[in-house]
Amino acid sequence: MTDIGIPVEESAAFVAHEQELVHETGHASSLGLSNTKLAFWLFLGSECLLFGALISTYLLSVGNFVGQVVAGNPRVLATMPAEIMNEIAEKGSVNSFFDIPFTSASSFILLMSSLTMVLAHKAVSEGNYRGTKIWLSATALLGATFISGQVYEFTVFYREGLHYDGNLFGSAFYTLTGFHGAHVTIGILMLVALLIMAFKGKLQADRAETVEIIGLYWHFVDVVWVLIFTVVYLIP
Amino acid sequence: MTHTDMAHTAHDTDTHHGHDHAAHPTEKQYWMVFVILVLFTAVEVAWSFMGFEGAVLVVPLLVMMTIKFFLVAGAFMHLYFDLKILNGRLFTWAFFGAILLAGAVYAAVIASFRFNI
Repeated sequence: MTDIGIPVEESAAFVAHEQELVHETGHASSLGLSNTKLAFWLFLGSECLLFGALISTYLLSVGNFVGQVVAGNPRVLATMPAEIMNEIAEKGSVNSFFDIPFTSASSFILLMSSLTMVLAHKAVSEGNYRGTKIWLSATALLGATFISGQVYEFTVFYREGLHYDGNLFGSAFYTLTGFHGAHVTIGILMLVALLIMAFKGKLQADRAETVEIIGLYWHFVDVVWVLIFTVVYLIP
Repeated sequence: MTHTDMAHTAHDTDTHHGHDHAAHPTEKQYWMVFVILVLFTAVEVAWSFMGFEGAVLVVPLLVMMTIKFFLVAGAFMHLYFDLKILNGRLFTWAFFGAILLAGAVYAAVIASFRFNI
């Protein structure tokens, strides 16, 4: 018997069980989730603050930019072609500059990639490794399609006269959507790393939490796009 | 109940380490969430083309955006299920309190900031 009255063999079995759990899933957390997952949520919290600051800056900058255009500030009016400035002044908003149907298609693609990501996590959790590879590949491809769309959009805007250093609207727009695009690109790289692990047979069910954590990052990027799509593209 | 049984019970009731065993959605439920997200996005886009102005345009768009936000965070990021298994209500309140605080700070900045040019 141990000091607290538990048979020695049961105490040893309990300790062995505990060690097995720690080995499988990382160190203990009194909150009931793994420390890795909690730490990642903290990281996502800091990312929320970053994107909150970028979205706030965009809103303030565009408000100021439109105000200057409506007021006819010649220094601001000279930063983009006259026909675009006239349309912005007439409508009191920059939204006419955007191609909403195209961006809606991009949003659909990113939402679809969130679905394939959770399906990849579900597949790896259930030991369905073929499904894991299929869904991870689909997620990476959809992400790459989204980024291709963003590159196309940036190219069109640049040719139409919206430059990064041209005015407040250009700076704020490219910074916000560019940071988001950079996050998507990093997500694609992480998905490719997972795919390599999967093809080497190193992504087994006991690594499901790794897929879940990268999935958290991917869904976070999707959530940020949900905000950007409404606040930047749809609301004038 | 033996100590070993208790260890297994604790494990099965989701209070252990990384094993967050709260039931996650089924594949069918994930597809349903996706369909709802797509529908909301379609309604958002359609609403923005209806020619509404002011609060009639903005408020429904913000409401739909918020619903989409919580659908992705709750279902796809498993937040709804993970918050259920975090011990006690303190963490849940702290989590949502921090979100509200951050939102309030940004709203205050946007409302009070003025360019001096």
